Amino acid sequence: MTEQPVLEIKNLKKYFEGNRDILDMIMRRSPSQIQAVDDVSMTLNDNESVAVIGESGCGKSTLLRTLIGLYDMSAGDILYKGKPVSQFTKSDWKEYRRNVQVIFQDPFNSLNPKMTVRESLAEPLNIHGLDNKDERIREVLEQVELQPAEKYLNRKPSNLSGGEKQRVSIGRALILNPDVILADEPVSMLDVSTQAAVLTKMKELINDFGVSMIYISHDLSTVSYIAESVKVMYLGRFVESAETEQLLQSPKHPYTEALVSAIPIPDPTHGRERTKMSGAPRDPIDIGEGCRFRDRCPEVIPPTEIEISQTAYREIMSFMQLLQREQIGLDRIENMIGTSERTAMADALQSEYFSEELTGKNQSTLRAALTSLADDEQQIAIDTLQNRFESVCETTPPTVEPEPGWHVACHHYNDMDSADEKQTPLQHTDD
Amino acid sequence: MSDPLLEVDNLTVQYETDEGMLTAVSNASFTISEGEFFGLAGESGSGKSTMAKSIIGGLDENGVISDGSIRYRGQEIHELTDAELSEEIRWKEISWIPQGAMSSLDPLQRVSEQALEIGQVHTDLQDTQIREKLKKTFDIVGLQKSRIDDYPHQFSGGMQQRAIIALALFLEPELVIADEPTTALDVIMQDQIFKYLDQLKTELNISLLLITHDISVIFESCDSVAIMHASQIAERGTTEAVHENPRHPYAFMFKEAFPDVREPKRDLTVIEGYPPKLMGEVDYCSFADRCPWAAPECRAEEPASEPVSDDDPTHEAACVRKEEAYEMYESGITDGESEHVDSEVASTGEVD
Repeated sequence: MTEQPVLEIKNLKKYFEGNRDILDMIMRRSPSQIQAVDDVSMTLNDNESVAVIGESGCGKSTLLRTLIGLYDMSAGDILYKGKPVSQFTKSDWKEYRRNVQVIFQDPFNSLNPKMTVRESLAEPLNIHGLDNKDERIREVLEQVELQPAEKYLNRKPSNLSGGEKQRVSIGRALILNPDVILADEPVSMLDVSTQAAVLTKMKELINDFGVSMIYISHDLSTVSYIAESVKVMYLGRFVESAETEQLLQSPKHPYTEALVSAIPIPDPTHGRERTKMSGAPRDPIDIGEGCRFRDRCPEVIPPTEIEISQTAYREIMSFMQLLQREQIGLDRIENMIGTSERTAMADALQSEYFSEELTGKNQSTLRAALTSLADDEQQIAIDTLQNRFESVCETTPPTVEPEPGWHVACHHYNDMDSADEKQTPLQHTDD
Repeated sequence: MSDPLLEVDNLTVQYETDEGMLTAVSNASFTISEGEFFGLAGESGSGKSTMAKSIIGGLDENGVISDGSIRYRGQEIHELTDAELSEEIRWKEISWIPQGAMSSLDPLQRVSEQALEIGQVHTDLQDTQIREKLKKTFDIVGLQKSRIDDYPHQFSGGMQQRAIIALALFLEPELVIADEPTTALDVIMQDQIFKYLDQLKTELNISLLLITHDISVIFESCDSVAIMHASQIAERGTTEAVHENPRHPYAFMFKEAFPDVREPKRDLTVIEGYPPKLMGEVDYCSFADRCPWAAPECRAEEPASEPVSDDDPTHEAACVRKEEAYEMYESGITDGESEHVDSEVASTGEVD
């Protein structure tokens, strides 16, 4: 495409500083970094609608807030029609805010309860000094299907249903004829009977008005109604992006696969298998390099030299993660068995955290690490395990394009012509 | 599945308000058998939470059971005093996983202390026995046994949710009532929770009353379903029967309003309007004003819930046009004289 994209996000990072207590200050320790958005790039073309999907805590809302300037960027840049946001003047910002509008998640709280529908819709027009207010307001109400306009103009939010409130929010976002709409879970608080109507209306308006949209949601099941392409976000990074239907049908990244396969199917005869994933995403605090999903990935890659089953390897990796985060409850184990004797401790640790049987060098390495741990030598334990079991997933996977328009950041897809090629093709279980 | 565990018969629940008696549940009937997972579905304002609360005697002060009966193993529940309910039924027979479970743990008490409190009130068990039971249940819901003495803040969100479920289950109740247990959760976490519930069904033969607006979860996880609209049960039956052959317009429209990832482009059905707020006796079909096939008789009396066919007496629908409505919907015919009134918003008085 030769046309200039409306919005271009280049290696955007938003880090927050963690809390620092007085001891940290005295010791001159640098504060921990919360890597909420970590090196994210995307382009939004004219009249395009892209969804960003992820679980709570993945950084999608931070991304949106950074895009509208509520947060400063830590690194990278955002280009609006080729102009970098980092160099915006005050009047650039005003123009940007007029052209980039937001629809928030909660229609129950995002409208001013003291303002009538007319006042809510007139406010943006006043701020930007536009005329023909009444005409414009009626036009917009008609477009979002709140008809006849007279019926709604003088109502306050308390006299509107959830779906009607969200239509007013949509109208408010559209009234300035923006180029871009950023929608943050716009239908998640609505009843299912109105969800469909609001989504379809939004999609229609995007097309009619030639608006571009970034649609942020945790719900993959409705995304096909609004966006042509999807980006899946996990702990601050995009792990996969593709055309919506393709992605839903045959996700490539193990995380996307887990996400898609956990969506309930409204059919009692379907027999979907329950998720194999355990735990929840970790906090994005000082996570450094490496694949963000490695601590939960059911397909984490063992070193080629060692022979080990995926389940057993998964257990070792999970244990290593807990160890690095200092989350192994040594005291608790000690209380449970009533002694701190090292062999007994190592036994107890193994039975608490491991169910798979290990053999040979794998077992002896694990045993050595557990014994070091029982002696309170955390670092030695970590080094021992890392020496033998370190995975390629500890390094950040580059984003590759295995098929045109389909981007994946996973070592399984990296280096496709070598022996690393993915052994088990990922498939969406279809019946 | 065998004996009926819970029988709800022609239940009517009303709230006393300034404007008169507000009907939240009208003439509702259903049964839950031993080992059955039963789903109660409907939009907000349908009365499903009121129904659940009346089962454990937990209605708000102004709520009254005006008519009908709720029997647990044959025993009339609303004839028991609050003290008797606590002693005989709550927690050890029927337990409760609340809506917004994540914020339901006391942050100042260890999980084990909260379990002891429940155990001491509702059973004669020794403290050590209570702790043992809690440990066992922690293991089932996938938490480490050694963590029963942790404080809630030491758990992640999903683990807190599981701790709540462990507390609801550790006294081995026969029936668990779960009110939107996974609504605030991401899909993966939701699936993890249901994986544990499935396991409990096989291992402990518990029964579940699952209350949710999300019918896809019910179709997947439950044996039977009742679909409720503004105080009335529109249709009920096995999940297979209701899925394959829905008869009540609200039932099939509600079902078709849900997205299915297998068909990402399918048109979703839109149900205009919202459940009305009902004052006094409901002697008409509460869906009539939203129904594209409403006929004069829909407003003449409350439609009786009747079996849809002779071969499956458990599958009932409460609709005078149950013979033809679905076929008309399928072929795109609407002939009703419905006049859904978007404008009449029933202020904020939400029924459930």
